[in-house]
Amino acid sequence: MRIGVLVPGLAAHDAVSNDTLGMTAALRRLGHEVAVFAPHARGVDEPILAPAAVGDWLRSPQDVLLYHYCVGWDFPLALFQRTRARRILRYHNITPPAFFADWSEGYVSACAEGRGQLDAYAAMNCELYLGCSPYNLEDFSVRGVDPARCALLPPFHQVEQLRGLQADAQRLPAGSPLLLMVGRLAPNKAHFALVDALAALKLQQPRAHLLSLGKLDPNLSRYGDALEARIQERGVAAETTLLQDANGAELRAAYERADALLMLSEHEGFCVPLIEAMALGTPVIARASSALPWTLGNAGLLWESTDPHLIASAVLRLRTDRELRETLRERGRARYAERFAPSVLERDLHAVLQRFDA
Amino acid sequence: MAVSSSPQDEYLERVKAEIRAEAERARVRDPLPRHDPPPRATQARRPAFDAGIERERLDYAIGELTGPHYRAFLDQAFRAVLKRPPDEAGSELQIRLLAAGASKAEVLGNLRWSPEGRRVGTRVRGLLPRYALAKLVRVPLLGYFVEWGLAFAGLPLLLRHQRAADTSSAARFGALDEAQANAQRMLDELRAAHAALDAEHDRRSDALRADIDRMLLRLDALEEQARGLEERARALEARAIAGAHEAIELRHYVHAANHWVTSLQRSLDELEETAASGRERADALAASIDVDADEATARDARHASWSAVLATRLPAGAHMLDLDSGDGSWLAALAARGIAASGVEANAAMVARAQQQGLAIAVGDPLAVLLRCADGDLDGLSLSATTLAREQTDIAALLVEARRVLKPGGHLLLRCEHDPHRLVIANAALDAAQHSRALLVAAGFVAPKSLPANRAFALLAQRPAA
Repeated sequence: MRIGVLVPGLAAHDAVSNDTLGMTAALRRLGHEVAVFAPHARGVDEPILAPAAVGDWLRSPQDVLLYHYCVGWDFPLALFQRTRARRILRYHNITPPAFFADWSEGYVSACAEGRGQLDAYAAMNCELYLGCSPYNLEDFSVRGVDPARCALLPPFHQVEQLRGLQADAQRLPAGSPLLLMVGRLAPNKAHFALVDALAALKLQQPRAHLLSLGKLDPNLSRYGDALEARIQERGVAAETTLLQDANGAELRAAYERADALLMLSEHEGFCVPLIEAMALGTPVIARASSALPWTLGNAGLLWESTDPHLIASAVLRLRTDRELRETLRERGRARYAERFAPSVLERDLHAVLQRFDA
Repeated sequence: MAVSSSPQDEYLERVKAEIRAEAERARVRDPLPRHDPPPRATQARRPAFDAGIERERLDYAIGELTGPHYRAFLDQAFRAVLKRPPDEAGSELQIRLLAAGASKAEVLGNLRWSPEGRRVGTRVRGLLPRYALAKLVRVPLLGYFVEWGLAFAGLPLLLRHQRAADTSSAARFGALDEAQANAQRMLDELRAAHAALDAEHDRRSDALRADIDRMLLRLDALEEQARGLEERARALEARAIAGAHEAIELRHYVHAANHWVTSLQRSLDELEETAASGRERADALAASIDVDADEATARDARHASWSAVLATRLPAGAHMLDLDSGDGSWLAALAARGIAASGVEANAAMVARAQQQGLAIAVGDPLAVLLRCADGDLDGLSLSATTLAREQTDIAALLVEARRVLKPGGHLLLRCEHDPHRLVIANAALDAAQHSRALLVAAGFVAPKSLPANRAFALLAQRPAA
């Protein structure tokens, strides 16, 4: 089968790009002819074709156009409307614009534009809506998309490559307990709640430290400024490290050293850091929001609230309760192996594509 | 989305309940200070990213938006038409269109009539016909002829534009010439300044070189001193090494000397043991020697003669001491004359034999006995030449001691006779006795008198009476 993969852009260390490239490789291993089309690409090995060429590349109605939908982009919308090929909408979710209100009007506009296309895609009756999580698929089920046209496939990832790296802890802080957050600095990631939890924990553990690995988009500089002010206000500047240029070896070391991964995001379409933590044996404390409960399963401590004392108490309990720690690690490794290991994802992808063979 | 339940979830729920309870306790125990909610951005703090967007303005003329070129054109178009900065994907797409020869009107139209642009609803006067034409020329075949027709119809306009462009270019070239002249002038000024700086640089370089030369000279002197010090250090080091070698050698010598002294001491001990053993053997041998009959007769005769003289000289009841009494034959002669005499002899074997004869004789060092005698204690004292012939004996001092122990008017008899019991050469003893006359006088004795006898003689002298 000839499959044209369309994506808004490719970059190294990006979750959508990892899913695109991992799925492309898996499709080729399954015997399909695959080409990737993107307006721009940086730091990836895959040969990229211009999006305008995808229409000509797909020759038969039996071919497949697979679009990774994660931003607002008119071109695929128009392409989906006119193509004769079968259409798979790979949905990674788009952060609701309300999270960016007062932080960046550009983000508000872009996210609104992206989510504004949900109705159009839902109305197209695509051959397959492929969600990274049940939470993502809800966006289509509420718009009346036939559940038979929906399928669940967690994203392909780089966890095995991360596991194989030599850890480099030279730039990591020495505080203990060490709370880890992995993800870009963005309002939906609830960094303020992390800082508040650290302040509460510091009352009982003066050496506690928060390590955040993730970049700040210059367009969200106001959020960065506000976060900095929050850190100063809570008196935890010395106990907080925001590392924006961490490499894979440092990420590996952070998971090894951390007492817990703290994921208090209010909106996530899947959250790859959770499966990284599960695979590497780092206990997880997370907020029971959006896709997080499904991704984490029962392999971590899920809370409806981000109350600082509650999160701090959970960290302390993890630190002192060896049985709990080992139980969560064991469950995490098991959940990763059963649900998110590359071989499992490839098997699921194969099963999903079989419906096109019928 | 609920988490799937399992028997282990009860465990997690129990743990979470305990954590909640602990959190409540912590909230009471360590309340967090109250804080205001995170600061919200104000219009004044908005960064340049969103700057330049006039949200209230929804009406533009196309000429306002087509002035800038390339990215500046796109940036302005996004901000004016969509009321937001360009996103990367959208911007790249429009750049590709421009690079492919699309007109700015087509790009503006793409933005204006995109779903987002329609929602914003910005009006761009004069855009619609231009956009429609741009789209029309993209229709296959028909577009080709339309574009030809437009180009043909627009030739006069194009010529006007060409002339206007020529004029504009000439004006720009003029401005460029002027700017070049200004730049040349500035360049000349800069060159002059550079030359001045060069001169200053040369002057400072010369001064620096002079300083460096002085420092190099000083450095040479310091190096020379360092070399001298180094040589001295080497000499001291050599001396220290030699001294160390000497010390090692000396230590070897000391060890060798110590070893030698130890060996010598051991040898001396052995010699002393040998000597003591020899003495004992000599004493036993001497005591065992039997005097031949002739000698005994001659000895008895002279002892009788000498004792007869003494008997005439000593008062009745006089007490006399004999040193080096030998086998006691002289004591026996004195006793035969009725003179009370006692003797001292070092040879214990001889003393034992004499004591068996009933003579008053004791074992001891004759000289030590003499030194222990009180002043003026004796009426008479007899000495054997053997006593004088002892090694290291100060004869003069001995005679002074003899004079001391004698009573005033007391007599000293010095016997010089061959003594077969002793390893003493008779001649030597005789020589000593012959010289002793002068010594007797020197020691304060008077009237020394020789008492010759067969193969011997005696000297009789008297301490002057008080």
